[in-house]
Amino acid sequence: MTHTPPGYHGRYLHVDLSTRQSDTHPLPADVLRRFIGGSGLGTWLLQQHTPDGIDPFAPDAALLFVFSPLVSSPLTTSAKFAVMAKSPLTQRINDSLSSSHFAIAGKKTGNDAIIITGKAESPTCLVISPESVRFDPAGDLWRLSSHRASERVREQLGKRFHVASIGQAGENLVRYATVSNDGRHAGRGGLGAVMGSKQLKAVAVTGDRLTTYAHPDELIAYSKDLSRKSFGPATAKYRELGTVSNLLTFNRLGTLPTRNFQQSEFADAERLAPETMSVTHERTRASCAACTIGCEHIFHLSSDAPPSPRATARGSAHGESGVRMEYENLFALGPLCGISDPDTVLRASQLCDELGLDTISAGGTIAFAMECAERGLLDVPQLRFGNGDALLQTLRLIGHREGIGDLLADGSRLASQQIGQGSEDFAPHVKGLELPGYEPRTLQTMALGFAVGTRGADHNRSGAYQVDFSNQVDRLQASPDDVRLAIETENEAAIMDSLILCKFLRGVFDDRLAAMAEMLHLITGWDINTAELQETADRIVTAKKSYNIRQGWTPAEDTLPQRFLTQAIPDGASAGASLTKDALQAQIQAYNLARGWTPDGYVVDESSVK
Amino acid sequence: MSITVEFFGIARQRAGVATIEIEADSLGAAFDELAGRLPQWSTACIDDGHLKSTFLANVNSRTFITNRSHRLNEGDHLLILAADVGG
Repeated sequence: MTHTPPGYHGRYLHVDLSTRQSDTHPLPADVLRRFIGGSGLGTWLLQQHTPDGIDPFAPDAALLFVFSPLVSSPLTTSAKFAVMAKSPLTQRINDSLSSSHFAIAGKKTGNDAIIITGKAESPTCLVISPESVRFDPAGDLWRLSSHRASERVREQLGKRFHVASIGQAGENLVRYATVSNDGRHAGRGGLGAVMGSKQLKAVAVTGDRLTTYAHPDELIAYSKDLSRKSFGPATAKYRELGTVSNLLTFNRLGTLPTRNFQQSEFADAERLAPETMSVTHERTRASCAACTIGCEHIFHLSSDAPPSPRATARGSAHGESGVRMEYENLFALGPLCGISDPDTVLRASQLCDELGLDTISAGGTIAFAMECAERGLLDVPQLRFGNGDALLQTLRLIGHREGIGDLLADGSRLASQQIGQGSEDFAPHVKGLELPGYEPRTLQTMALGFAVGTRGADHNRSGAYQVDFSNQVDRLQASPDDVRLAIETENEAAIMDSLILCKFLRGVFDDRLAAMAEMLHLITGWDINTAELQETADRIVTAKKSYNIRQGWTPAEDTLPQRFLTQAIPDGASAGASLTKDALQAQIQAYNLARGWTPDGYVVDESSVK
Repeated sequence: MSITVEFFGIARQRAGVATIEIEADSLGAAFDELAGRLPQWSTACIDDGHLKSTFLANVNSRTFITNRSHRLNEGDHLLILAADVGG
């Protein structure tokens, strides 16, 4: 019998929707130390609960909500949780993080994780408290937006409940549907569709079970100091302008994906920039739960903006006119689709919120379809770059799986396989996950991060773009010598995503790993150092790779679409930038060897990740 | 040497302008010139003659530079931008 460390409950809850049974299982202390929580612990749990080769929509496929030792602590930005499953978009591991009161309430149910398997006979709201697990009928919630559904559940159960729910995209099994909570989204990889496949409209949690801290007085002092630092210049960008301030920077450097990655500069970028929109549109700020940074910038639609095609049931966490804007939804629904009208981008973002669509994959898939239509590969005349009405209408069709939306609801990879005619070469994905707003030919360390990412093309699990934005490398010239730097960012993300801590805090730490080790020590009492955290990060990344191998991964998946390996950037500040298959392959091989895997990426010793 | 300094994000907020033309033949000389022309920017962004860690300098959209002695050429564009480009 091992002792559960402070910060943990030492158990997880397993709910079977088919049998309507639930039970709890212990979490061994050594597993907690080796995988921490969040993304790391979720990977370990998913290994135990995923039969090889399972269909992500099969009843036996597991959906996880995973908390962490930092949740409900006084540490700023720690109200986070991981949603995990085998992704229906990538068929690979997916961990999608979110930040809201759901994390705090979920942990207070007395569990470090909630695992859901099975399939309900009819739409269901799962209601979890420390005393019970209930299966409430949710027929009246079906077809509501996630926000409206959440409001309805809280009206019925009380405000002490916090809710994760899906919109119509999740109900309709759109492969990039989100899990919404308090207006935030666990966005990537289609985990909302996994909920939909289980007829699970919502999960409501409440509780009063607290965990202890090993060094409570020191933790409070540390937390106060961290909160004070979080008000400082290191986070000013996020606080004053938000992530949308990347837009003009990326545009000037010629690294802003435009018109489905055909270009890397957008002539109308100024119209969409926060510096401009702050003048033309009312803007307010908000914060995640338990966060002192306040990075959310809510832009309000112009009063004279035309109405958008409506989702069947409207509902926005920020009111009818308020839309939270981040760089990723701005780039994906703006320049990537050739859209320069700010109100159209706001409408599109709002529609994604209401339907529960990942904005990156939605924008990426529609931009791909626009290029197909312009090339005559798809007979949808209105789909043209820059056509805002077509963007809004196509989002609605995707959410409802109607018309062309049924094809595009499966993402750019599957759509390109249906369309054929060479369209696979410019479908903007890795392993099925659409690329975020970092042009890989102009950020070639990031190109490696995209190619080897276990959940696909992803800027949250690899922060290698930070290396490209430095004097450590030549961002236009990939080198195998740079893979260590890419691995450092991937390892750092693995730890931050397991603690779970907001990456926007990165700049406040002099030594990030040392700071994270200190936080874990104060909460759990572990005598843990940076060397152990590095080992933990390696273990988590390798565990994810091992999971993927069991699900059918092959080395051929670790690559980029042909466009990026055969075409140079045509014009602008990065004109001529190119990346070859051989150069990328050399990076990948160096990466695999540095990870301790075989040259083509197979894990040599799986015993360490069990 | 006449060069153009372009500010992005928070650096632009602190400068109060998007661009400015200055005379400078090195990165250090540019910072010194900006201290006189845009003192509020310098106070917010410069520490002991160097950019604070939350900012980056780039020449002509191509090369990131940190060394004060880095030579600047006639017509160069010096970009000042946020060091954290997470999205």
